[in-house]
Amino acid sequence: MRETRLWSLHLLVIPIIAVLLGLHFAVMHYAPVFYGVSVEEARNFETMIERGRSVAQLVLYILLLAAGLYHGLYGLRGILRELPLTPALAKFVDGGILLFGLFIFALGAYVTWWTFSYKIGG
Amino acid sequence: MNSNSEPTAYNNRLGLKGWIYAGKYTFERYLYLGHRLSGMGLIAYMVLHIIETANRMRGVEAWEGLMALFASWPFKIIEYLLFAAAVFHALNGVRLLLTELGFFLGRPKEPVYPYSSSIKRHRPLTYIVMTLAGLIIILGGSSLFFP
Repeated sequence: MRETRLWSLHLLVIPIIAVLLGLHFAVMHYAPVFYGVSVEEARNFETMIERGRSVAQLVLYILLLAAGLYHGLYGLRGILRELPLTPALAKFVDGGILLFGLFIFALGAYVTWWTFSYKIGG
Repeated sequence: MNSNSEPTAYNNRLGLKGWIYAGKYTFERYLYLGHRLSGMGLIAYMVLHIIETANRMRGVEAWEGLMALFASWPFKIIEYLLFAAAVFHALNGVRLLLTELGFFLGRPKEPVYPYSSSIKRHRPLTYIVMTLAGLIIILGGSSLFFP
């Protein structure tokens, strides 16, 4: 049952990733096509901070971070768990991936929060 | 004997070698390989991307220096490969999702010659999805390199 839940969650986060990653690509990589500004302008420090100070961006980026990391690391876990591992090693893989995922999520969330709370000129 | 709560060590005799060759391959098997490779590339990139964007906390100069590096041609090519991997992975993922949920496989049939497997019945969708992925990848490249 636990595995079914984890698998279902990995499928349920797909629409979140598709929409938010699409937006991320549009803003950061295809700004000239979608917003009529150059990529350099879109990635400029002030522009990036200005964008990052919106509540919507804070929430959506943390959501993308959680969904992307969960989907990706669940996939990686599946690949590793297909290998002929002993039960102890399989548990180690599970724990290692969970800890790694939590660490990267914490870092990404902190950077997003830092951007949100950045004081221009301060 | 494993209980449900214990991890299972699968009898995966070929291990990673089985990814490269495990017998007679079909188009879908190559897509499976591509899905795994693109997926691993994307998660590796995502982790590096999170670490790299933390560079903004070091100030304007550090950030602008990093962005100047990313504007160079080698990084533009890497960026395009990333886009291509994301598009391929996403669209092949849609195909896998539809398959796992039982769509486009047809009704189960008696195995009467000439055989019509679910993979063959599913193949038009595979071609449509992969053509769409190819078109998006080409369009994305033209926008990225010739804005």
